[in-house]
Amino acid sequence: MRNEPTPTLLSWLIIILVTCLVLLVFQKILWLVIPGLLALVLYYCMQPSVQSLVRAGLRHGTAAKVVAGLLCLAMLLPALFILSVPASRAAAWKGTLAHYVQGGLDFLGKTEEMLAQKMPMLRKSAVLHHSPANLDAAAEEFAEKYLGIFLLQLVHWLPSLLLIPYLTYFLLREGNLFRKHLIRNVPNAYFEKTLLLFDRVDKSLQSFFVGLMKLTFLDTACLAIGLWLIGVSFPLLLGLVAAVLAWVPYLGSIVGCILVVVVAATDFPNEPAVAYGCILLFISVRILDDFLFLPLTVGRSLRIHPVLSVLVLFLGAEVAGPIGLMLVLPVWGVVAVVIESLGQILADQRLHERFRQARQLRAVTG
Amino acid sequence: MKSPFNFFSGSADEQRIQELKGLTLFNGLRARELRELDELLHARSYQKDEVIFDEGDTGLGLFIVVRGRVKIVSSHAGLKRLAPEFGRGDFFGELALFDEAKRTARAVAIEPTEIVALFRTEFFSLLERDRGIAAKILYELSRTVCRRSRSLVVQEEHLPLL
Repeated sequence: MRNEPTPTLLSWLIIILVTCLVLLVFQKILWLVIPGLLALVLYYCMQPSVQSLVRAGLRHGTAAKVVAGLLCLAMLLPALFILSVPASRAAAWKGTLAHYVQGGLDFLGKTEEMLAQKMPMLRKSAVLHHSPANLDAAAEEFAEKYLGIFLLQLVHWLPSLLLIPYLTYFLLREGNLFRKHLIRNVPNAYFEKTLLLFDRVDKSLQSFFVGLMKLTFLDTACLAIGLWLIGVSFPLLLGLVAAVLAWVPYLGSIVGCILVVVVAATDFPNEPAVAYGCILLFISVRILDDFLFLPLTVGRSLRIHPVLSVLVLFLGAEVAGPIGLMLVLPVWGVVAVVIESLGQILADQRLHERFRQARQLRAVTG
Repeated sequence: MKSPFNFFSGSADEQRIQELKGLTLFNGLRARELRELDELLHARSYQKDEVIFDEGDTGLGLFIVVRGRVKIVSSHAGLKRLAPEFGRGDFFGELALFDEAKRTARAVAIEPTEIVALFRTEFFSLLERDRGIAAKILYELSRTVCRRSRSLVVQEEHLPLL
């Protein structure tokens, strides 16, 4: 948008401070922030569907109910499936997890061996002496230790995640009225500027989340096609999981890559080239992401300079760890818009004068 | 489910739609279209002598008078001489719907006034998703702007461009 305020040094400092505070608060109420953010993503993605239904003749409330109902169904079915999995199936999952951990450790062992053959001096290095003596036991231990924790976390998060369709429904049905209600309470003098502020925040969030969805779609497509060509099993599922993990900058991509390499190493235990192929694929998609997809999708939305965005990511990681890493860019985008717009409003003496005059008039008329 | 924020539900909704239908700018719209448009409109109340916008402000949208009267005061020679007033159904500040230029006049409520405001970016979003509604509004808007342009030339009517 044109005529956007230029931030001063003071506003930069305030933006940094407020961003840190918001991240710290978000870290404390993560159970609400995660479903809230996912609901916001779904709201921006589904809003066009509601508008289409309204144009087709449905009332707004009914259109919101239809869209949210379909969403609810799409979310409840997998949740019910997870909850209804019998204990015997969970035991089988433990076996599968152990199988894949074993595959990953085997791959690690073979890579170490290969490196040692190519560079004999590395044999003496401590780097190559980390693999456990008994790989089977280590894999079992890993599965024993982490699968239970994972399932417990899943059950712990389920009620929060079930908030997503409810919050999405609320946003689809009431979001605009709620916004109008807030604006209605703003004094007349600041009304137009407040509208502009709301519009900027809305546009920032919308373009960020829609950009993120487009980026996820592109990442999933590239990874799925690449994995399918390499011959790894479940290419679409792995591509989607890795693309979603990439929502956490840097860290997510590494975790996604490890996940896919482990699957590839287990599927092809005697062909380490396949796993290396997966690593190459991830690096290629990462480069595509950084230089093509990201600037075309998310980067365009927040208009943060690439150097600044890296610094902001470091700030987020420092303040709130992986959660900060994931949330810092949208939080920064919104906080920057709010602080810059508020600065503009506070500096406008004409608006304050008009506000004082209106207050006096209201006092006279009672 | 009863909406906690919906102040125009039920019969009030129909009353509101009828109210909007009575405004010149929207009289070509059907009830369904008015309902969709209503989501974009912002109702405001002003006291007598309260400034709605000032000369030199960056214009962000147009205002439509639902009740009351609004006087336009300007330092520009043409507008100063005409000093137009707007009543129920009239709209002003329409140029802000098309660009971010500074307002050329001050708008003041000369009696307790209720207006609805249509914000530029919201109008553009309507233009993108439902061109039918936007085209009808733009048609009415263009007719009035043409009439006001002619009146500025021949100075028959006191309805200048703002």
